Amino acid sequence: MKHASSLARISPLAPPEVAITDLTKRFGALTALDAVSLTVRPGTVHALLGENGAGKSTLVKCLMGTYRADGGQIRVDGAEMRLSNPREAQKLGLGMVYQHFTLVPSMSVAENLVLGEEDMPAVIDWPNRRKALREFMDSMPFRLDLDRVVSGLSAGEKQKLEILKQLHLGSRFLILDEPTSVLTPDEADQILGLMRDLAREGRISVVLISHKLREVETYADEVTVLRGGKRVGQGQVSDLGRADMVRMMVGEAPPATERAGAEHVTGAEVLRIDGLSVDNDRGVTAVRDLGLAVRAGEVLGIAGVSGNGQTELVEALAGQRDATGGAITVDGKPFHRTRAEMRDLKIRLLPEDPLRNACVRAMSVAENLSLRSYDEPPFSRWGFWLDRAAIRSHGEELIARFHVKTQGPDALIGTLSGGNVQRTVLARELSEGVRVLIVQNPCFGLDLKAVAEIRSRILAARDDGAAVLLISEDLDEILELSDRIAVMSQGRLVHETPRAAASLQEIGRHMAAH
Amino acid sequence: MTPVAIAQSREAVTINVAAFLLTLALFGVYVTFLGHNPWDVYYVLWLGSFARMISIESTLTNAAPLMLTALCTAIPARAGLLVIGGEGALVVGALAAVLVGVTLGGLPAWLGITLVGLSAAIAGGAWIGAAGALRQRRGVNETISTLLLNYIAIAVMYHLISGPIRDYERVLKTSSWSIPDSLRVGEMPFIDVHWGLGVGVIACLVLYVVMRRTSFGFGVDILGGNQRAAQVAGLPIDRMVILCCFAGGAAAGLAGGFEIMAVHGFASESLAVGFGYAGILVAFLARQNPAAIILMAILLGGITASGGLLQRRFDLPDATTQVLQGILFMIVLASNACYGRIGFLQPKQKAGA
Amino acid sequence: MEGDAGWLSVLVAILGGAIRVSTPYLFVSLGETLTEKGGRVNLGLEGVLVMGAMTGYATAVLTGEPWFGVLVAGCAGAMLSLVHGLICSLPRVNDIAVGIALFIFGTGLAFFLGKAFINPSAPRLPSISLGGWSDVPQIRSALEINVLFLVGLALALFIAWGLRNTRWGLVLRTVGDSSEAAEALGYRVNRVRIAGTVAGGFLSGIGGSYLSLYFPGTWNEGLSSGQGLMAVTLVIFARWDPIRCFYASLLFGGATALGPALQTVGITANYYLYGAAPYFLTLGLLIYSSSRQHALAGAPGEVSISR
Repeated sequence: MKHASSLARISPLAPPEVAITDLTKRFGALTALDAVSLTVRPGTVHALLGENGAGKSTLVKCLMGTYRADGGQIRVDGAEMRLSNPREAQKLGLGMVYQHFTLVPSMSVAENLVLGEEDMPAVIDWPNRRKALREFMDSMPFRLDLDRVVSGLSAGEKQKLEILKQLHLGSRFLILDEPTSVLTPDEADQILGLMRDLAREGRISVVLISHKLREVETYADEVTVLRGGKRVGQGQVSDLGRADMVRMMVGEAPPATERAGAEHVTGAEVLRIDGLSVDNDRGVTAVRDLGLAVRAGEVLGIAGVSGNGQTELVEALAGQRDATGGAITVDGKPFHRTRAEMRDLKIRLLPEDPLRNACVRAMSVAENLSLRSYDEPPFSRWGFWLDRAAIRSHGEELIARFHVKTQGPDALIGTLSGGNVQRTVLARELSEGVRVLIVQNPCFGLDLKAVAEIRSRILAARDDGAAVLLISEDLDEILELSDRIAVMSQGRLVHETPRAAASLQEIGRHMAAH
Repeated sequence: MTPVAIAQSREAVTINVAAFLLTLALFGVYVTFLGHNPWDVYYVLWLGSFARMISIESTLTNAAPLMLTALCTAIPARAGLLVIGGEGALVVGALAAVLVGVTLGGLPAWLGITLVGLSAAIAGGAWIGAAGALRQRRGVNETISTLLLNYIAIAVMYHLISGPIRDYERVLKTSSWSIPDSLRVGEMPFIDVHWGLGVGVIACLVLYVVMRRTSFGFGVDILGGNQRAAQVAGLPIDRMVILCCFAGGAAAGLAGGFEIMAVHGFASESLAVGFGYAGILVAFLARQNPAAIILMAILLGGITASGGLLQRRFDLPDATTQVLQGILFMIVLASNACYGRIGFLQPKQKAGA
Repeated sequence: MEGDAGWLSVLVAILGGAIRVSTPYLFVSLGETLTEKGGRVNLGLEGVLVMGAMTGYATAVLTGEPWFGVLVAGCAGAMLSLVHGLICSLPRVNDIAVGIALFIFGTGLAFFLGKAFINPSAPRLPSISLGGWSDVPQIRSALEINVLFLVGLALALFIAWGLRNTRWGLVLRTVGDSSEAAEALGYRVNRVRIAGTVAGGFLSGIGGSYLSLYFPGTWNEGLSSGQGLMAVTLVIFARWDPIRCFYASLLFGGATALGPALQTVGITANYYLYGAAPYFLTLGLLIYSSSRQHALAGAPGEVSISR
């Protein structure tokens, strides 16, 4: 038990008991959190389970003092707290490990560790400080080189640094916000296992925010389930079954993806990539010498931990980033990412984060629906004169066909929910014939109903003969949709297998290979 | 127009009028501190800008170059660029007008004037277009490059008028050769303002139609709204950016051409008097809308026109109007924070949505 | 031999000019470095510089105390930059556009208030003679070094040290590199940025007072030749490093001094083109060091002009 002695040094005090009673938070007309209560007993792992928008983030932000609650109480070791700033929470030993990393990219590991310190002196005595940090690192179960700059760390290393930072600050109550979304299955097990062990030893308490049932079942002691801002379930994980938890999360039987036409036909090779190399933002090679081929009526799923070149690959296919080498062909014709080729070869894209990558915020839903076709008849007359009325009525039609929930075709796209933004993009990209469909993380952050619908639409496109390249960090999604699975690691495809022969262990091992 | 579009223009007009009134109030406080009666100052501002025909003519004369230099910021801005090179493009256009003009004395006036105007526009367009190309090809930030190009243009002008094309017979003022009288542009019919105003208004209206009513303009709005979405849609971004920069630069170059053909007749330091920088203000006042530029240029032209009268009546320095412009600019920028926040200006929401 | 001595004197004149001309460059570039390390761009330092020149001169005329003028100039610069910092803290406000507005406003205000001070003469700042060892008068005059130059050098060293070794430095860099991280750590992003902008304005104001109180040592409307606007490009040139700001300022000072130096040996042709040497230099360097694919090396993550 190596960490027992070392942790005594970091956390001389026992973790606090945190009790939340009837916490309420409103944003305008929306009640994001409706009288939620829960108690985290010292030395336990308490899971906060719920879909996106269920109120998990709002709850912990109130706890950390980022938001001010409109009602209810937070007691830390029995004393009522009114926190208005994360630094105050820090003083009580409450620390948060964020979903999006909150490290300073241009700074070293050492500087990032010192930054959050409550008593950071006006002038930093680096020689002594570094000595102390090295001792701290030596006492930790995992460590990082103090001089490495954060922008050069991998996603897993950054996640470790976030946790190290909290432990270094002496946090005894750690909130982990979807901690495993950027990790390989092995890394996830390692980090969550470590957190659970620390809790069992009574050194820390952990709140684990997650929507992954497997993680909750394996690592949490107690669970609170939120839905629509309300507490819909609570109890010992050992008392609850998986089915109970799903029912609480969703409120009904979970919708299933319609696997229409499971007996679809695979045709000729359509999309082909040879020797593709792409640099990332810092000028470092992110995709190296990558080759693949997708046939008509087939989904090729590319699994991988985020940050292994997937985004750069999609950006190169989308024309958002120049390739430094290689060739892309569709139906044997070279594809240079021009508008004419996208139109003639029927190449369509569903990039991740559609509001950022595929929509214009300042434009209406109807205008966003016309981005592919505005320069063609009937929207452009005589090749240049824009018919806004035609764009609007075309928009109305697609909104109805794809069930986009909006105040109307004139509403700005930014006013739509995430699921409806994705439906808008789907409507635009899939409404006409599709030969090649490139999809990245299509269901990230969506509720289960939207997820099922969007996955069904992607499969329907495949059944109609499209060659689909699906790049996803969600291994379950890859397994559900793909006909063939490849793993991307450090810019290369390292493993390929038909869906039928795929083994989770094998894929996980290749995802983790560095 | 859709109800949303109407609500949006109502919001823009209301906020801009409020910003202008706030500017006048702050300016009133400022002159009160300096010992003047603000109401007297407002009256003289009005007198010097719009009260009489002669002041309106002076206002419009000042507005003419501002319309064209404002386009130099506004058109690239629609594609998502912040170009501040109107001053340099104007100077380059003026130099081109002089260089071409002195060689075209023999041509009929209409042809010569057209050619001089064209060369001024092409020179200005190439100047800013180059900044656009540098951004697309090399990733050079267009704000910084156009700022540097301003200084380079002005240095080139000083170089040329102090040697290579200097008119040594004009002793009091260092200046270039003059263009032949046949190429001088006169006043428009019915009003004592040179043709630069008419060309400025036409340029603004044409570009308004191009930006609002054509598929090219729609594509530019996609690009300006979200470059990443424009890339996914496969738009020819490099070409669109360079074209917008060229159009903006051509407008500013044309302003320089009219400074030569209609105002000075030769190049001198009087070209670089800040029309380019004031044009940036006009573009932001108009929220990069070419049609609104016409009105905003006239408003700002009025402020400039009343400067002389303010100077004479109250013994205020000529920098007074610059102070007023600076206050207005800052308040208009700050007013950006108000969009979408003032309840009664928002489009009506459907119940239950 | 005659020719050699001529070129030598050109070199000495460039060196002397570099030292004389570089000081305002140094102060504005250090000021802009502080501003941009916090994540904002202040293109209005030209207005701040001119305002500093005017207030410094006016104070020296009225009190007879040039050093007091320097202090007042710094404070005037800080006040103007505070306006920039506050407006940019509002949502959806473009910091570069606010900079242009501040440029128009600051120069306008300085010309307006400074009208009365164009004629009276102010006491100049003292200088230190480091050229006593030489008999050559040009070298002696080139090594007449103003105290502000040395203060600027010390400041460059101090800021470089402070950004790495003080709480203030780390917090400023955090805010400039990732506002998300700064918020998670509980820092008030806007407040820190305003502080960085104001400190930058203070330094730039001092840079302005150098213009009016030492070299050229007078106040008029043509005093600045765009040093404040050049600050932004200088900082890119120096890759956001205070020590490199010092070298870059010397280089730009030398480039600015090229035309006058050549004039001393009778080469007057192309005087204005030599005067534009810093602009050509910067543009060339920018073209060379920019890339379509990635941000400029060393740029703070939140700065808008690095791409």
